[in-house]
Amino acid sequence: MDGTQPIVEMRNIVKTFGSTRALRGVDFTVMHGEVHALLGRNGAGKSTLVSALSGFTPADSGAIRIADTAIEATGQNYAADIREVIAHVQQTPRLFDLLTVAENLFVENPIVRRKFGIVSHGLMVARATELLDKWNMDIRSDSLAGELDAGSRQLLEIMKALTRGVPVMILDEPTAALSNAEKRILFENVKALKAAGVSFVYISHHLDEVFEVADTVTIMRDGQVVKAREPVGNLDVEIIADLMMGEKTVRSAREDHTDPQGQILLKARGIGIEEFPDSRIDFEIRPGEIVALAGPVGSGKEALAMILAGKQKPAGGEIVSERANLPTIGFVPTDRHASGYVGILGVRENVAIGGLSVLSNKLGFIRLAHEGAHVRRLAGQTDVIASSLEQPVSQLSGGNQQKVVFARALCRNPEVVVALSPTRGVDVGAKEQLYALLRKLASEGLGVVVVSDEEDEIEQLANRVIIVFEGRIVDELVGHYSMKDLILHMEGVA
Amino acid sequence: MTAQSIDNSKADIRDTGQSRLASFGSAFVANGFTMYPVLLLLVIVGAIIAPRFLTAINLLNILEQVSVLGLTTIGLTFVVLIGRLDLSLEGVVGFAPMLAAVMLVPATAGGFGTELPAWMGLFVALGTAGLIGLFNGFMVVKVGLNPFISTLGLLVLLRGGVLIISNGRSIYSPGQALTYLGSGKLFGLPVSVLVFLAVAIVVGLVFQYHRYGRALYAVGGNEEAARAAGINVDRIIWSAFFFAGLLAGLAGVLMTGRLDSAVTTQGQGIIFSAFAAAVIGGVSLGGGRGTIIGVVSGVLLIGVINNLLTLAQVPSFYVQASTGAVIIIAAVLTTVASRRSGGVKTRT
Repeated sequence: MDGTQPIVEMRNIVKTFGSTRALRGVDFTVMHGEVHALLGRNGAGKSTLVSALSGFTPADSGAIRIADTAIEATGQNYAADIREVIAHVQQTPRLFDLLTVAENLFVENPIVRRKFGIVSHGLMVARATELLDKWNMDIRSDSLAGELDAGSRQLLEIMKALTRGVPVMILDEPTAALSNAEKRILFENVKALKAAGVSFVYISHHLDEVFEVADTVTIMRDGQVVKAREPVGNLDVEIIADLMMGEKTVRSAREDHTDPQGQILLKARGIGIEEFPDSRIDFEIRPGEIVALAGPVGSGKEALAMILAGKQKPAGGEIVSERANLPTIGFVPTDRHASGYVGILGVRENVAIGGLSVLSNKLGFIRLAHEGAHVRRLAGQTDVIASSLEQPVSQLSGGNQQKVVFARALCRNPEVVVALSPTRGVDVGAKEQLYALLRKLASEGLGVVVVSDEEDEIEQLANRVIIVFEGRIVDELVGHYSMKDLILHMEGVA
Repeated sequence: MTAQSIDNSKADIRDTGQSRLASFGSAFVANGFTMYPVLLLLVIVGAIIAPRFLTAINLLNILEQVSVLGLTTIGLTFVVLIGRLDLSLEGVVGFAPMLAAVMLVPATAGGFGTELPAWMGLFVALGTAGLIGLFNGFMVVKVGLNPFISTLGLLVLLRGGVLIISNGRSIYSPGQALTYLGSGKLFGLPVSVLVFLAVAIVVGLVFQYHRYGRALYAVGGNEEAARAAGINVDRIIWSAFFFAGLLAGLAGVLMTGRLDSAVTTQGQGIIFSAFAAAVIGGVSLGGGRGTIIGVVSGVLLIGVINNLLTLAQVPSFYVQASTGAVIIIAAVLTTVASRRSGGVKTRT
């Protein structure tokens, strides 16, 4: 094949959802052996574009050519025509939980078949073991996919796509669930495959990853390409952010509203976490304080937050308050799609279920006027953008869905907010809005607990950083600290 | 779509992206009115082909006939809204009034010989029905059984239970306390119709405007999100099964009243009609979607069709098959309408 010709060519791709024009005539090309990063805010059309490329959601019109396969899009399904030349790893792993790792890796894969299409179990296990070794993964090929942790599942999904031997791969937010070590493995494999001539389309919200693995960058905004095929060396974070936003953005800095004289809102005494038998955590939060719980994946920081929020029973110890009663807690769960919102219900219902007790009268009937005003105020406070309060939340963009989850958490007028991964999978603009919201809540005297894996986020928000490792608090940063301090303290345990 | 910020300053949120007609259409479907035009059409057709159809007596007759199915379907809607199902409701329709009957009538008439005072009849029937509902809730919430298999088992068990407690014989004239709701008249209207309407209105209001209703929709839409929002999901599931059982028991009492006897085969097959009525009325079997207005339309549709087929003197062998065909057509219509208007896929 001619290496100077693009391996992927998309011309004038159009896709509309209802009255939303998700793609407005997009051109996109990928060269042989290139890692092509596709950037843009949530809702810019990145995922729609790659879904049109892989056929997950067929484009309405336009021309697509991948290697020797050419398609004229008409809105009809064409995924089957191109499944031999492209693989698409989506944001959330789509594994068969009740099949083994080996079965997942080689499902519908001809290399493990013998005569008459009979699948050889031995061959499959041997190949899977070999592959797992190559990826340095410490899991058994016969364990069930459903039993694996999120990072392994994500890697497995990527490996599954890579083993198909296709010339083009789409990786949509591949590192969202990966630890730093797992990211390393992924990047090494991507680089090796690139050297072997495989092309990648890479979507990520993490610009540092883009600078590390990508060769070329295309930036989208509002369903259009605003910067096509720019070599990564010509760009820096500022330029990319400006192009994505369409306007200059300034990353906001943290503010300190801690009230050192205020009564302690929530005090954990000797809290034990089930996975760590000798854990014993003391923790307190004052009004106006934003505390971040940091630490590696599986360190117990999420469990601690769940216990503080009253969503999980501690293995020991107690939660008390200097006030008469335990404070009302607003809770933002870690996985928006699984436990954040009810997709088929509207904004109004989603926000209101967070505080049905305060919105209803003595008989339990919802006070509709009060509900409308309350929800409208919260949606305004959290900057939710929707066509109406009745619009189903599944139709909103990721950032707006997360804002709805925040509005729900605030529905009962909490005194403490516990937010797990508050901006996961949210674009830069919505991120800043959520940061501003959390700071404003702190300035009003609320206590805020944030669990985060992102150093930037912690540095922009937290007045106090608590580093959790193996179910214990191992380090703490208070007041003025720099990004460098933060990274050093966090690496101290990893 | 032109989206705009929901903000205090912009107190009115206008749906600029959709035409007024389109938003009327989606509200029409979402609120459960989809089947009413079809119902109206059927009534017009009925009036033309069978002159006796559009008489007050016949219309009341239809209402009286559907009240049993109606109460059962409303009960079923509780559990379907939270994404579960309850097959045992059919068993409750037969078992609860039968148990009450055998405890009321003297041993010579087939009773246990306990000869409870008459007023206890309703109490026993509804109490039994409620307990059965609680048992279903226990099996699903505490034991963790799939409701399909646990309520299927209970359905078969209750069917057999009816034969055991009645010795396989129907109980005639179980007493006015048990039969009044199903046979009495109030202001010239059958009490059963009034009971059905009252329950429909109360439950409809609870679903739309009560915190309990909101919790049902939330649990059905996304159980984990409901839990994270602070809703006591287990209690909601438990209570949904309880109300379902209670309403099926009430339906059984109405049926016993109308027949003035507790029949051993009472209620057989009603769960299929109830599912059909719920789906026709726009209740999603996946949970989280459905209104009482819709459920009532589904129940009425089935009642009107049965009535029309009888009046039009369709040979009885054809009645059942035609009902089935109509159910499929109506379900297709409902699904297509909700897909076109909502933009959100539901499983029906």
